[in-house]
Amino acid sequence: MSRLSTIARPLGLRLALLVIGLVVSLPLLFLVSLSLRSPDDVQNGGWIPSRFVWANFSNAFDTIPLATMARNSWIVALGAALLTVVIAVPAAYFAARARSGQRLSGVLLGSYCAPPVAALLPLYYLFKDAGLTNNVLGLILVDGLANVPVAVWLLEGFVRRIPEEIEEAAWLDGLSAGATLRRIVVPLIAPGIVAVGLISLFLSYNEFLFAVSFSQRTDSQTLTVGLSLFQGDHTVQYGQQAAASLIGVVPMYVLAVLAQRWLVAGLTAGGVK
Amino acid sequence: MTVAETTGAQRRPALAQGSTSGRRRVRRSSPRVPFLFAVPSIAGLLLLMVYPTVYLLGLAFTESNLALPLQRWTGLTNFTDALQSTAFPGSISRSVVFAAASTVLVVVTGTALALLLRARGDRLGVLGVLLLLPLVTPPVMVGVAWKLMLAPVGGAFTGIWSHVGLDGFNPLGSSTGAFLTLLLIYTWQWMPLVTILVFAALLDVPRDLVEAAQLDGAGRIAVFHHVVWPSIRTTVWAALLLALVLGFKVFDLVVVVTSGGPGFSTMLSSFFIYRTGLQNSYEIGVASAATVIFVAVVSAVMAIVGIARKRAVAEA
Repeated sequence: MSRLSTIARPLGLRLALLVIGLVVSLPLLFLVSLSLRSPDDVQNGGWIPSRFVWANFSNAFDTIPLATMARNSWIVALGAALLTVVIAVPAAYFAARARSGQRLSGVLLGSYCAPPVAALLPLYYLFKDAGLTNNVLGLILVDGLANVPVAVWLLEGFVRRIPEEIEEAAWLDGLSAGATLRRIVVPLIAPGIVAVGLISLFLSYNEFLFAVSFSQRTDSQTLTVGLSLFQGDHTVQYGQQAAASLIGVVPMYVLAVLAQRWLVAGLTAGGVK
Repeated sequence: MTVAETTGAQRRPALAQGSTSGRRRVRRSSPRVPFLFAVPSIAGLLLLMVYPTVYLLGLAFTESNLALPLQRWTGLTNFTDALQSTAFPGSISRSVVFAAASTVLVVVTGTALALLLRARGDRLGVLGVLLLLPLVTPPVMVGVAWKLMLAPVGGAFTGIWSHVGLDGFNPLGSSTGAFLTLLLIYTWQWMPLVTILVFAALLDVPRDLVEAAQLDGAGRIAVFHHVVWPSIRTTVWAALLLALVLGFKVFDLVVVVTSGGPGFSTMLSSFFIYRTGLQNSYEIGVASAATVIFVAVVSAVMAIVGIARKRAVAEA
């Protein structure tokens, strides 16, 4: 093996990865660039603002009710994540340990394969009658339940990793199944619960189909709906749209970066192997 | 057929946590986990799956308006209306093509990137953080970002276009261009998921086997074929099924980037159903019949790919 190739290969590899990293971040960098430019400057195209303008961020709050929408998004995401975890933890314990557990996870994942649009019209009528349209509670319910299959799938892997002897010892000590779940299983799968909670939070925060279909009034609309509304407007303000997008997504990025280890562990440890 | 079965063959990536022992194929079935634990999730299924399915069939065979569902039995009229509409039949084949093409793209690029990263070392590093960002970005926002970037005026590449003599080039302006652009954007968002999953599997490829093969004079392709692929095969197939499920769910991107156009060139079935039922004409019956047909097609495709996966994974 020549000396050159042993040096050149890692270098080429690093270069390739650098380019890929750049491509991955390109759209996000462009949003930042747009958000800092005046409408005239946007027309000029290119990447570097000729002058930094901060007004887009404050103006975006006037163009759409951004604050209300951000609040709604957070309520829906936190509520749905909580609902998902509360339902999925006992279900995952059942799936991993009970005799018919595999059947439960099979049915749950089968339901996940169906496109969500299948439930759209029936749930529209049901929620309308129940007063759950134009209501964040309706979105919490539908998002929280929709993420249960994924959550059970991922958590099952974490439960299986617990040696069964630990639970058996707990039963011998007289703990009930509920107490075993709460005091033995939950602490042991805590990293998985964090990961699943975050994944459900992201998925619910990002949800659009049900959000746009079930909310016609701005007081219950979420950020994703608000961002899509910029589109219909013919006097599209690129800078404001970019600013509004960044306001919506930066908190999620901070969460994702802070929780990177848990997220990657949760994604890979659970199901796909 | 479901992704559940992909968990059948058990092998755990070591990326996440240290201990990898402890999973057993044969479990003692403990009588101590009560059925009660499964009840909330089953109730969720009833609400989100069973009830909508029954109700959907009702809507598909009757006449409804937004205020009053299930007004009058109409037999197969909704189905024939859907199949004879200008947009729906095309949307079905388009959805299948989109799901298939996006799955291949996402799995191939994602796996390739995972291999590149693995060749560098056993950590994802900074790129690991970058790869999470597209995954946690709302698809609506992904669409907004790309649409702004590709805008013929004020976009990111307007300078490059005019340099190469394509002044005002708009990739979303033509039918093929718009469809390919949607595929590209979708791949940007979901490729990282495959990379993360496959990278974890690559960490489990036995080093000594790779080295032994190299000592025996196996080339890089031979090592991949005989050593690496057998141990990541189940993961790649599981990722493929997952990508296929996600590929059929695409809705947000279409709304934001193309609204189904130009013409009907990017009208995918989920967008057709939404537009027909809840946005333009409020033809609930037709939209419901279209949903029934769409779900049947998705199920058939999933079944075929599921069988292919079973065969491929069993061939060990």
